[in-house]
Amino acid sequence: MRETIVGPFAGKFVGHAVRRVEDPRLLTGEGRYVDDVQLSGMLHAAFVRSPHAHAHIRNIEVAAARRSPGVVDIITGAEMETLVHPFIGMLALKGLYDPRFYALSSKRVRHVGDPVAIVIAESRAQAEDAIELVEVSYETIEAVANASDALDSRKPPLWDNRSNVLFDFANTYGEVDAAFAGADRVISHQFKEQRVSNQPMETRGIVVEIDPKSSAITVHAATQSAHMLKWVLALLSDRASIPASIKTLAINRDRVTRFAKSAKAILTAKPELKEPSPMMPAMVKQFRAEPSRFVDLQRAMLGLLAKSDNDRPEVLARDIGGAFGTKGSASREDLAVYAAARKLGRSVKWIEDRNEHLMGGGHSRDEIVDISMAVRNDGTLLGMKVSLTLDQGAYPAFPFGGSMFSQIIRVMFPGPYRVPVMQFNGKVVATNKGTLVAYRGPWAVETFVRERMFDMVARELGITAAEVRLRNIVTMAELPTPMITGPMLDVRMSAHRTLVDAIAIADYDNWPAAQLAARANGKILGLGIATFCEAAPGPPDFFEHSIPGSGALAGIEPAKIVLEADGMVAVITQQVPHGQGHETTLAQVAADQLGIPIEAIRVRYGDTKITPFAMMGTGGSRSAAMAGGVVTFAARELKERIVDIAADLMEASREDIVIEAGNVHVAGVPARGITLADIAVEARRRDQNAAPGEAIRVAQEFDGGEGGWTQATHACWVEVDLETGQVAIPRYVVVEDCGEIINPAIVDGQIRGGIAQGIGQVLYEKITYDDAGQFQTGTFMDYLIPTACEIPDIEIHHIETPSEIEANYRGVGEGGMVVAPAALTNAIENALAHLGVRISEPYLPPSKILELAGVIQTARSTAR
Amino acid sequence: MKMRGFEYHRAATLDDALATLSEFGDDAKVLAGGQSLVPMMAMRLSSPAHLVDTGKLTTHDTITETDGMIAIGMRVTHAALEQSALIATAVPLAHAAAPHIGHRAIRNRGTVCGSIAHADPAAELPAVAVSLNAQLVVRSTRGERIVNAADFFHGYLTTALEPDELLTEVRFPKRGAIAGASVHEVSRRNGDFALVGVAVHLEFAKPSTKKGAAVIANAGIGLFGLGGIPIAAVEAQSLLVGNPTSDDLFAAAADAVMRNIDPMPDNHATAQYRRHVAGVLTRRALADATNQALAAS
Ligand SMILES: Cc1cc2nc3c(=O)[nH]c(=O)nc-3n(C[C@H](O)[C@H](O)[C@H](O)COP(=O)(O)OP(=O)(O)OC[C@H]3O[C@@H](n4cnc5c(N)ncnc54)[C@H](O)[C@@H]3O)c2cc1C
Repeated sequence: MRETIVGPFAGKFVGHAVRRVEDPRLLTGEGRYVDDVQLSGMLHAAFVRSPHAHAHIRNIEVAAARRSPGVVDIITGAEMETLVHPFIGMLALKGLYDPRFYALSSKRVRHVGDPVAIVIAESRAQAEDAIELVEVSYETIEAVANASDALDSRKPPLWDNRSNVLFDFANTYGEVDAAFAGADRVISHQFKEQRVSNQPMETRGIVVEIDPKSSAITVHAATQSAHMLKWVLALLSDRASIPASIKTLAINRDRVTRFAKSAKAILTAKPELKEPSPMMPAMVKQFRAEPSRFVDLQRAMLGLLAKSDNDRPEVLARDIGGAFGTKGSASREDLAVYAAARKLGRSVKWIEDRNEHLMGGGHSRDEIVDISMAVRNDGTLLGMKVSLTLDQGAYPAFPFGGSMFSQIIRVMFPGPYRVPVMQFNGKVVATNKGTLVAYRGPWAVETFVRERMFDMVARELGITAAEVRLRNIVTMAELPTPMITGPMLDVRMSAHRTLVDAIAIADYDNWPAAQLAARANGKILGLGIATFCEAAPGPPDFFEHSIPGSGALAGIEPAKIVLEADGMVAVITQQVPHGQGHETTLAQVAADQLGIPIEAIRVRYGDTKITPFAMMGTGGSRSAAMAGGVVTFAARELKERIVDIAADLMEASREDIVIEAGNVHVAGVPARGITLADIAVEARRRDQNAAPGEAIRVAQEFDGGEGGWTQATHACWVEVDLETGQVAIPRYVVVEDCGEIINPAIVDGQIRGGIAQGIGQVLYEKITYDDAGQFQTGTFMDYLIPTACEIPDIEIHHIETPSEIEANYRGVGEGGMVVAPAALTNAIENALAHLGVRISEPYLPPSKILELAGVIQTARSTAR
Repeated sequence: MKMRGFEYHRAATLDDALATLSEFGDDAKVLAGGQSLVPMMAMRLSSPAHLVDTGKLTTHDTITETDGMIAIGMRVTHAALEQSALIATAVPLAHAAAPHIGHRAIRNRGTVCGSIAHADPAAELPAVAVSLNAQLVVRSTRGERIVNAADFFHGYLTTALEPDELLTEVRFPKRGAIAGASVHEVSRRNGDFALVGVAVHLEFAKPSTKKGAAVIANAGIGLFGLGGIPIAAVEAQSLLVGNPTSDDLFAAAADAVMRNIDPMPDNHATAQYRRHVAGVLTRRALADATNQALAAS
């Protein structure tokens, strides 16, 4: 444990468990969440949702509902199509068919919970009363209830009479067949991951505020990316025809000029954007195949261009009660509420309830993976063949959905291991289920499958799980070396070290004896290990290897840092923290650069009016490296500017100026120092153009530099009750390296939280649909999330690989969740190995444990 | 998840509550702790037009002993049950069951009578009532009647209660001199409703001077989490009574339990699982109750 710092601290903040700046506010109920927004005259929205998995909508009768008390308006799918543009997937990947769809469904519903109308009323309760009076006639269609249905060409297509396989791709790395032919053994297995759901404490929510006087629009939202939400809403709302937009532009020529100007500015700043995008050929192909797609896109783009600033929203995200990926999308509901508020010219609130959130707020995982490993008898991996089927449900998430995840799964599959050759086939399929969204490591199936498979290979070959890993993991002496899929493992890739340390801490070599001794006493124990690495944010070429053409957009992190007129410092970030503690960590980073206490720093975020533009927001374990990096460099530049002024004011040379605990002075004479407020006064005197309240403003962008990886090995012990199938976790050890740690308490919290969700995935959580596509997990009595009682103490050991790289911070947001399911499942299989048990799916409730152990018969259940 | 509108009545007296219930009959529901009713209303699974809140009837929050019975008033919460010294000594089975009910926050509001009136088949207290053959005191403007637990539970969430009736009191028999009680259950998470559970109460005959296994004089076994209603394991009970305890006897009782139940599957556990674990828990609970009784005697 490092000490907890309270109050002003003159030394270094980075590396210390500084108390979170956010906590007093959040813990005393002073946080401001979307549902805390109360506006006078504000209306409330609720959605009429499909009770069927798959059906034609024959008729919607809303007359009775309109007469229900408090109802202001009801917008059906058909009307919505006149108000908004369809969502048009912009991921141009070869072989991808990305369906277009509207905020509400008008002709067909494709999953239980599919919204078909939005009711706007004086209160949410009144809106729900009215929903009961809306009569929708459905004609049901056979459901495509799971991936095997989707692969069955006799099942009805979800989209435009196309195959339910929406994306089909194959990548070959090296001479795969030769490697397999030369192997001692080829070991194959099929794995599945069940569908789970993010379930943050705060569900989705949005308040679209329309200023009655100016009609300016402010969107209060729980979002992971304020700018993304702003521009998606601006792009897809206020549907106008192409001629109408042209007419608007003809009248408002300044809008065209302004657009041309800003486009030119962007292209000057980022000349690489001028190069033809690698996505171009695929995009052209998509447009050729479907010209209406091109027209839809042009119509939306032209409409966006024609809009006045006042017709585009500003997004304001305040406190957010978690997201885990689900709020990284702009949802159909967001757009529907926005459109309704625009239509009525009144502010509208929508707070998703838990039932809606379970049904349609975002699901994840749901993959089937067939894997073959070609190995030598000593465990050396010669190559692997992987075939992935990813069930993304009915509507792809926007803008990041299953097809994108499939590419990261492909790139990440080798992990930190030597994989000489690899064949990867992938399919993304459509089914009558809810939308697949990003969830804490949306590519995590690669770790689960690879780490489970290593255990299976070890058992087949009669060697230990540790041995098979040690034989194949990339050692530090081999670095740098590229993964077979492209991205570079740089010299800080310490996965090997985490594995070696974990093996020692776990006393792994003595485990078999300990396990046998316990079994003799009637105790069934297991130990599992799993190792992984995550791109946090990954090497510079990571995005290009995943989705060619996406690198330029994803790579840039901007920040502003301002010395304000009163001597306070504002760090202004495009990050939208939703539990990660950026208000603390970014302040720590800036404070160290500036030599001021963190109390003198305010981190401002979430407001598109003031934050620098970027589409990525917070996600992908990127903040520590990207935001930590840019804030480091921007704060350094600000310090230079402060020192310039101080040197003048104190008639000293720049080199002699020191800033300590906010005191700016000449080295050796702290008593004669001045404050940042004094500097601010002088700066404002010099710069008459400084913005109101500001003295010095610095803006920087950072491309992530060397980027890099976070890596870890987890060791998990279990005790299984073979009479009841209950699994206890007496010990859990993590050995990890995320580079230099900004705040150890926050890092450990991220790791523990991720592991809790990983344990949830194995022992408790499953989103269930039956064979007819009926949704069965609509409450927290059906979908079980572990509580503090279910989570063991987690022992965390940190490694830091020394490096010359500045701001050597890497993310830890996702790793716990990515690797825990493998470690825990490996432990359970290890406990049951003497019974011949092999585990293919991480979901292991007590009845499944007893079925695997042969204690009870396997029941055929309709639920999958 | 907003409930439909309803009219709220706060009963000032028991008679007041009974009068309101009699006035509105089927359209009214009693609001006790609200821990089951309120979520059902929020999900619009239950939408009474009138709610009769018993919260102010504070004179009914006592636990008293009369004529060898322990009477629990309708405002006694699970937490009060858990903490009552009288319950701990006189009705050890109820004492053992209480900590299994939800979480502490739920026990602070949920009531013993509410749980029994609600009759969730996975709830602990209905099974305790069946196991001990409790007497349920039922009042309406038409008068008072006493229903035996064996006749009270009719089906899933349905009981012998008429719409105008209040369950005002539960009476448990006081334990005998040599007695032990044990509740074993498996739930997915701490505080969840049981996937399957067993509530066992054993009474033993006065030990004979001879050394040897103790002889069971009286046995109550209540099963919960199996769907439908809480179940008294009648065959297992009669197998036990009159016999000295042994592993074989307990195994035979467990077999009888498994033979006689027809558990319902759901997404949390299969029928096979519930049947198997009902047997396992019966054995464990019988052994625990025996050890407890004999250790104390
Ligand atoms: C998260 C959670 C977990 C839970 N876990 C468990 C658990 O593990 N085990 C368990 O047993 N319970 C559990 N419960 C339920 C809890 O025990 C409830 O308190 C209990 O089931 C009902 O008691 P109540 O006083 O809250 O009744 P209410 O919710 O107020 O009422 C329930 C029903 O009984 C009727 N009713 C109530 N009192 C009377 C009366 N005196 N006469 C006639 N009718 C009456 C009501 O009209 C209503 O129909 C849980 C609840 C929650 C929210």
